[in-house]
Amino acid sequence: MATLELSGLTKRFGGLLVVDSLDLTVAEGEIVSLIGPNGAGKTTVFNLISGVFAPDEGDILLDGSSIVGLPRHEIARRGVARTFQTLRVFLNMTVAENVIAAEYASGKVGAVRSFFGTPAARAEAARMRAVAEERLRFFGERLIGYRLDQPAYSLSYANRRRLEIARAMATGAGLLLLDEPAAGMNPAETQEITRLIGELRDDAGYTILVIEHDMHVVEGISDRVVALDHGVKIAEGSFEDVAADPAVIEAYLGTGGAATK
Amino acid sequence: MEFFLQQLVNGLTLGGVYALIALGYSMVYGILKLLNFAHGDVYMVGAFAGYAVLVAFGGPTDPRIPVVVLIFAMFLAGMAASGILGVVIERFAYRPLRNAPRIAPLISAVGVSFFLQNAALLVAGARFRSYGTAKMVDPSTGLQWGPLRISIIRIVVILSAVALMVVLHLLVKRTKLGKAMRATAYDREAAAMMGIDVDRVIVATFLIGSVLAGAAGVMVGLVFSRVFHFMGFIAGLKGFTAAVIGGIGSIPGAMMGGLLIGLAEAFSAGYISSTFQNLIVFGLLIAFLLIRPRGIFGVPEPVKV
Amino acid sequence: MPEIGTDRWVAEFESRRVRREGPWGRLVDWTSRHWLGLFVVAAVVYPFVIGGDFGIRVGVNALLLAMLAIGLNVVVGYTGLLDLGYVAYYGLGAYGYAFLASEQFGIHLPTLLVVGVVALAVFGIGLVLGQPARRLVGDYLAILTLFFLQVFVELALNLDRLDLPFVDGPVSITGGPNGIAGVDPMEIFGFRFGQVRDYYFLLLVLVVFLIVGVTNLARSRTGIGWRAIREDTLAAEHMTIPSGRLKVLAYAFGAAVAAVSGTVFAAVQLGVFPQNFTVALLIVVYAALVLGGEGSVPGALVGALIIAMVPELLRTPAGARLLFYGGLAVAALTLVKPRRRLLVVVPGIVATGLAVRSLVTALWPDLVDVEAAGMVDRWVVRFVPSADVVVSVLFIVTIAVVLGIVAVRRRGAKDALVVVGVYLLVLVWENRLVEEPSITRQLLFGALLVVLMVARPHGLLGRPRVEVV
Ligand SMILES: Nc1ncnc2c1ncn2[C@@H]1O[C@H](COP(=O)(O)OP(=O)(O)OP(=O)(O)O)[C@@H](O)[C@H]1O
Ligand SMILES: [Mg+2]
Repeated sequence: MATLELSGLTKRFGGLLVVDSLDLTVAEGEIVSLIGPNGAGKTTVFNLISGVFAPDEGDILLDGSSIVGLPRHEIARRGVARTFQTLRVFLNMTVAENVIAAEYASGKVGAVRSFFGTPAARAEAARMRAVAEERLRFFGERLIGYRLDQPAYSLSYANRRRLEIARAMATGAGLLLLDEPAAGMNPAETQEITRLIGELRDDAGYTILVIEHDMHVVEGISDRVVALDHGVKIAEGSFEDVAADPAVIEAYLGTGGAATK
Repeated sequence: MEFFLQQLVNGLTLGGVYALIALGYSMVYGILKLLNFAHGDVYMVGAFAGYAVLVAFGGPTDPRIPVVVLIFAMFLAGMAASGILGVVIERFAYRPLRNAPRIAPLISAVGVSFFLQNAALLVAGARFRSYGTAKMVDPSTGLQWGPLRISIIRIVVILSAVALMVVLHLLVKRTKLGKAMRATAYDREAAAMMGIDVDRVIVATFLIGSVLAGAAGVMVGLVFSRVFHFMGFIAGLKGFTAAVIGGIGSIPGAMMGGLLIGLAEAFSAGYISSTFQNLIVFGLLIAFLLIRPRGIFGVPEPVKV
Repeated sequence: MPEIGTDRWVAEFESRRVRREGPWGRLVDWTSRHWLGLFVVAAVVYPFVIGGDFGIRVGVNALLLAMLAIGLNVVVGYTGLLDLGYVAYYGLGAYGYAFLASEQFGIHLPTLLVVGVVALAVFGIGLVLGQPARRLVGDYLAILTLFFLQVFVELALNLDRLDLPFVDGPVSITGGPNGIAGVDPMEIFGFRFGQVRDYYFLLLVLVVFLIVGVTNLARSRTGIGWRAIREDTLAAEHMTIPSGRLKVLAYAFGAAVAAVSGTVFAAVQLGVFPQNFTVALLIVVYAALVLGGEGSVPGALVGALIIAMVPELLRTPAGARLLFYGGLAVAALTLVKPRRRLLVVVPGIVATGLAVRSLVTALWPDLVDVEAAGMVDRWVVRFVPSADVVVSVLFIVTIAVVLGIVAVRRRGAKDALVVVGVYLLVLVWENRLVEEPSITRQLLFGALLVVLMVARPHGLLGRPRVEVV
């Protein structure tokens, strides 16, 4: 269960209007892509949803109730998980620990029982590790086996991106906010991630809002595309419609530019 | 009223000293994000260097050179000794740790502080040394303004503190080095990529900060006449607090913070119980940190996502 | 599965690196797996080998420091909160014990009750004073907590002449600068702690208990949450981790651990005094933690043992000499490369000594103490006491020369400086440092901290961290 509804969302940084009364809905089980030129305010929208910044105006409804002003961990607990455009894995922790950290909310055992190492605490630790392994298995063999216990800093860029997705899945959230999941990947990897994002929805039932610059990915995954420019929604609809929209073309290429993909 | 004015002068003197110490903390923090715990001890060494010159020229009672020249020489010696020391510390204790985890240079700083205190103890012994200023300069000379009297030595101290701060201000705002310092404080890597010799800037920062601390050491010797190996700790703590109150990393903030602490201390010693004087100052600081952690002039760091 | 890029290679390289080979490697591996057992065996044997009370007292101090360092490790090493007020909680524990088990207020509660009450109370205080950790980050928290410590010390020093309403005369709560003497020894299940050795074993049990507990915690969601907060607080929050609550928990946990060790300290010492809880101790605890390697429990333990025990060797002149000349030899061996240059350097040092001695004796005969007759004295100049200014100046020159050895790269110049430096070190050592053992100890401690940080910033057993990418 996860539906997201932004209404009249507005954010200013000083005098700069970065998100301007944005309305956006993501229905249960939908994949919506957020596109727009650099600096359009896409990441800021993610930051507003996930509680990094409070919006100046407007509301954010998750499954019908407002999450504005909630602490970040509470927003995550209610079902919003995200990845970061500038990767933020826990570098000095192992791959498994990275994912286990995100399972925090699913734990029941408190610090006292953990300190004494009660059977319940042991069982929970084992369960969390098993879950972590399962989440990582989503990416095939890449992140499991001996690699579970490698420090995250030893991972390649693409694997860090995968780890971030696994981590987001492990929070138990129903809504994933993916910030440029294919950035820094080569064509083969990009194709693979496109397929995997589809599987995230089809097999695992996630609702997904994704920011992406690579139009092949956007085309491949989106049910719906929303284009932003200077914080304003300039187009919305199917990929074909948005890609053909003159306003979008102008935003990307400036006036008079030729329409290419 | 007279008492009030007297405390005001006390506060200004102390404040000038704290401000000079605070500047070193603040500048280094601004550039390296390092709490230079050894800074208080650099100030202590400055005070001792002044004392050494004083003794070398015959002591306070019958100096072999004119008193004005002697005091000038003491300032020079204090500033030079501290300046060199600051640069040496940077070179050997901090530079190798530029890219180490944050806590490593902190521990290294603590080690330097320990070393300097005990080196001073070894060389100079544990007893208090006095500059004996009263024997050098007749304490009754100075400004007489109604019932208020300000001794000449205090005037010298306050004026030279102000002069040093003006020079520093001009240096930072008007010279190429100052510009490089500001750029490095803002973003070290970007500054390096713009062709700024960051190492040189850092050395200059340590040099300037330490020279100011050395001057502060001599000033304290002249006015309060107590020089000993452990004097750097409390003074360092207070100078450091001044830097924090003003907004650590900010130069006008350090000056402002120094003055505030000096005044607060003089007035709480004068008007409130002296037993709980420190406690009151510390309590105020804690409240201040909780309410406005970035200090008066500090700007909050943006959340980076 | 397609194998793309270099990631596989990188990861395998790592895994290849941690596997150690050969008998030495196997020994290291075995030790690192069984370190706790080895420690327990050694610690149990220690009092019987060392014999005298003094040695056991050193052991007690080492174990107290170990407890403090392991507790601090949770706050600093795991959670990344720079808590510079840590020893205030040690002090609170000690004073708490003294309040509830001494003649100060005429209260003598059973030991277990006192320790329990104090631990809980200080944990509560930690929860309150830890609140700012939610908001303040890094150095700001460090500064704030440093003031907590200063306030604690001021209170301990000054709460001795308090005028309270309804009470006649000034009331002393903390005993002021004189502290509280005559604290009850501990008594648990009818066993009365009479000797230092009893406390030693109590502390050993506590330390092992703490190590096991903290290791358990580190593997739990709480411990992993702590480390995630240190790595990246914002990302941790997005991963459902309540960073504020966990930070405060870590802070209060550290406080409680410090408090428990404080109670034992008060009982061992049979008194509490404000000067036991100052920044000097804070530095020692941090040094222990960082020396061992913050973030590592065995590191904290090893660091504490080294910091507490090695300086004791400097207490006796013979031990100090051994350590000094041993250290000098090791330093010369590592500094002079290739080793065969030692064939020039060592005779050089000897010749320098003889030359300087005859020169000084010829030029300023009244500065030299001709009575001195040790083997070293006949080589190095022994100054008369009235020449201490000379020694002081030489001391400063020595520091400069030693720094020069580090700075100079050119082989010949470096070797020349080594010759002069070693000679000067021996000279200053024999003339001044031996006679001031406590100052020397502090001096070496300070220098060691710097050298250690420069040589191994992540500590002996810590892993190098990757900070930013
Ligand atoms: N914390 C902040 N403070 C001030 N300005 C900000 C902040 N965060 C973002 N901005 C500004 O808001 C604008 C939108 O930034 P945002 O990161 O949302 O863009 P984006 O659409 O994600 O761009 P990109 O495609 O490059 O990732 C930019 O001009 C940026 O400089
Ligand atoms: Mg972005």
